[in-house]
Amino acid sequence: MDESAAAQARTAPGQRAPGVARVPVSLRVNGTERRLEVDTRTTLLDALRDGLKLTGTKKGCDQGQCGACTVHVDGRRMLSCLMLAASADGREVRTIEGLERDGTPHPMQEAFVRHDGLQCGYCTSGQIMSAVALLEEGRAGSDEEIREFMSGNLCRCGTYPHIVAAIREVAARGDHA
Amino acid sequence: MDRAVVGEGVDRVDARVKVSGRAAYPTDHDPPDVAHAVLVQSTIAAGRVAALDTSAAEAAPGVLAVITHENAPELCAAQGEGGPVPPPPLQSDRIVHHGQTIAVVVAETFEQATEAARLVTVLYARAEPVVDIENPRAEHVRDPFGTDDATGDVDKALAEAPVRVERTYRTAANTNNPMGPFATVASWDGDELTVHDCTQGPSRTRSDLANVLKAPRDSVRVLAPYLGGGFGAGLRTWQHTVLAAVAARQVGRPVKLVLTRKQMFTSVGHRPDTRQTLRIGATRDGRITAIDHEAWQTLSIDDANYEHVSRCSLSGYASPNISARDVQIRLHVPSPGSMRAPGDAQGNFALESALDELAHELGMDPLELRLRNHADVHPVTGQRWSSNELRACYRTGAEKFGWSRRDPEPRSMRRGRTLVGYGMAGTSFFFYQASCAARITVTRDGQAVVGSAGMDLGTGTYTVMTQLAAELLGLPLGRVRVVLGDSSLPRAPSAGGSGLTGSMGSALHDARRNLIRSFLDLVRDDTDSPLRGADVDDVRVEDGRIVREDDGRGESYTEILTRHRQDELTAEGSAEAPKEDLPVVPTGPYAAKFAEVHVDEDLGTVRVARLVTAAHCGRVLNEKTARGQIVGGTVGGIGMALFEHTVTETRTGRIANGTFGDYLVAVNADIPDLEVHFVGGPDPTSPNGTKGCGELGVPGTPAAIANAVFHATGIRVRRLPITLEQLL
Repeated sequence: MDESAAAQARTAPGQRAPGVARVPVSLRVNGTERRLEVDTRTTLLDALRDGLKLTGTKKGCDQGQCGACTVHVDGRRMLSCLMLAASADGREVRTIEGLERDGTPHPMQEAFVRHDGLQCGYCTSGQIMSAVALLEEGRAGSDEEIREFMSGNLCRCGTYPHIVAAIREVAARGDHA
Repeated sequence: MDRAVVGEGVDRVDARVKVSGRAAYPTDHDPPDVAHAVLVQSTIAAGRVAALDTSAAEAAPGVLAVITHENAPELCAAQGEGGPVPPPPLQSDRIVHHGQTIAVVVAETFEQATEAARLVTVLYARAEPVVDIENPRAEHVRDPFGTDDATGDVDKALAEAPVRVERTYRTAANTNNPMGPFATVASWDGDELTVHDCTQGPSRTRSDLANVLKAPRDSVRVLAPYLGGGFGAGLRTWQHTVLAAVAARQVGRPVKLVLTRKQMFTSVGHRPDTRQTLRIGATRDGRITAIDHEAWQTLSIDDANYEHVSRCSLSGYASPNISARDVQIRLHVPSPGSMRAPGDAQGNFALESALDELAHELGMDPLELRLRNHADVHPVTGQRWSSNELRACYRTGAEKFGWSRRDPEPRSMRRGRTLVGYGMAGTSFFFYQASCAARITVTRDGQAVVGSAGMDLGTGTYTVMTQLAAELLGLPLGRVRVVLGDSSLPRAPSAGGSGLTGSMGSALHDARRNLIRSFLDLVRDDTDSPLRGADVDDVRVEDGRIVREDDGRGESYTEILTRHRQDELTAEGSAEAPKEDLPVVPTGPYAAKFAEVHVDEDLGTVRVARLVTAAHCGRVLNEKTARGQIVGGTVGGIGMALFEHTVTETRTGRIANGTFGDYLVAVNADIPDLEVHFVGGPDPTSPNGTKGCGELGVPGTPAAIANAVFHATGIRVRRLPITLEQLL
């Protein structure tokens, strides 16, 4: 089953329930057009996870305070728990599932593996999405800069020095585009 | 093998699935027709629920059930295998802490359940809560673990000691806050229950759930192949896990229950706050003659928590007179529980701060004081250590850090308006290993599958067990697959006490022995086999082959299985905890920590500039993941030292900072590069040679930082976290 067929076949959140305000939403997710109908209260995070079954994006606090749910919306990093799915209508969304190119991991994913920039792995999707954006923003010029601009992504396993090493390496190689 | 597979900094075998977002955590499971449960928690800390009105919630769109103490099934208060199970939920109207679960709402969607939970109206009969450790109304439980111990005559030795230090230290409550909110997805199929749960011990959760629900153990299956961290929060079967199962049975559908971040502060344990008094006596040349340690810690009203805070004083230093006692203070607070290095994290801060104070009092280098009082044998029992390289930790750590450059005078090493301080601390952590089983299957194509119910909460269990199995079977890493986190696999202890690697590794050694024996049994009378008649002790493994030690002849697993027309051979093995009362005491890991802090003279802000750890962890199975454990623990220790403080309002018992915005944890910009050096060799207690390294990073870190802050500023901070108002 291809991705879009799978999405249409699924029950979107709240579909069975009466008396719930629902809106149609059209998103371009990882390069594919996705349509779904959502409860107006549904966040982009929950729409990605529950509606589109893209569970690589994680919910850590649901309050915009931990960074685990970081995705790219129109090329900028965004906390998907703080954005309603309805307000993402018509936008371009990239998630961790969209980083690979033709089955080849993104250099940042490879660097996280090599430098052991993860342990439990729960914050990792958000860390990597932030790290990729950091390079695109030109904010990885020094260790201090990396540490500062990665500080919105909490890691409770304490892998920060390894995350910095991974980003430093990719930034220095310059092959992240 | 041309290349050792153990010890190398091999990449984590589960790293790829994690960096791609494909690892399925408990909350990622969405069985067909799943309903969503949301908890309602109490807004008072003591009293009872006088009346509940659930009618509005029940009438709300999509709601399937509202479960309260008025309609919940009777559950069994169980004594679990690994300590008491938390009291079962919704069994009475009694409230014993703010944030206690008083209802669960089940609806078609998460949004509907969340909305309906807000519509549950509660009338409380409020009583006056007791939430302060020093409140005289609180009940004190003395010697709660039966671990109070003493040797010699501490009071007499203190009275006669030429130099004495007597101080009280406090550590704040901390909340584990793994990044993954705890979640349970429960599905019933007839009387069979399957649970995806955030647990560090699938075997334990299975037996706890069976006990609480009064179900046969074999009818419950618990899965946790991936977990978004735990740090001890997953060591008990908390109420929400039970409620998910109860709700699923009630609505006749699978139910997913995910705690909110706020509920993570009230529902899955926390590190209890402590108030500790240390009295140390010494001679003028720095020989410790007495250590007296009384540790108070907080506890909830109706639960238990094993947390031996004063333990470190019983084994830390060679004093002829020692007394160490624990006291638990019952308060209207959520149940505490284990949090990375429970007890030792707090106890070590008090002991190692007091040592630093003594060194200052004596005018002696703090490192020299520790070397002079090194415990060559267990100070209380006189037993020899199974292995102890703490001296080497001190030596290596001091050298790498450049400790000799420290000017002993406090406030002497400034750079402009920045006060620079050097501080150090030692750690002797406890040893833990528990009964564990594991299974190995070798298939005809020369692949091995290892299975055990134990799990990997990010520590690297998948990886080090892959390496260990590859070594034990003589196979390359790529031919070994490890399956974990499923209670239907051979039973295993929880991932806790830094003991899973030792426990599972020892079980793997036994399983491997049984497996090789099975292969040899197969060829016992096989005239075509060069291994005919060989005993398990006569052979070794290499390159996928079993070979005779004497003449080097042998054959591969594949050749044996093919010739005997078998697809595979499987063997189980198990290992028990080391026996007590040995002449040699099984000995945990050691570390020495050296910290440099920078304190802004005007603002009182503290930054850790560098931190060097030298650790003796026994055999290091994987340099990369072991380093990650020490680094991660150190980051947690920095958080404990400078940031983490679960604040409970004295009047209401409400946790005032239950968000990541208000409960501060270390962020990337708080952490410098952290140096880790491994010293010493394997520990002989188990065939594995490991001592455990999962928690070693925490204890020692807060004391090294506090001691460095004293050196920088001349101000002794005896209360964690160290905040700027204490330095102005």
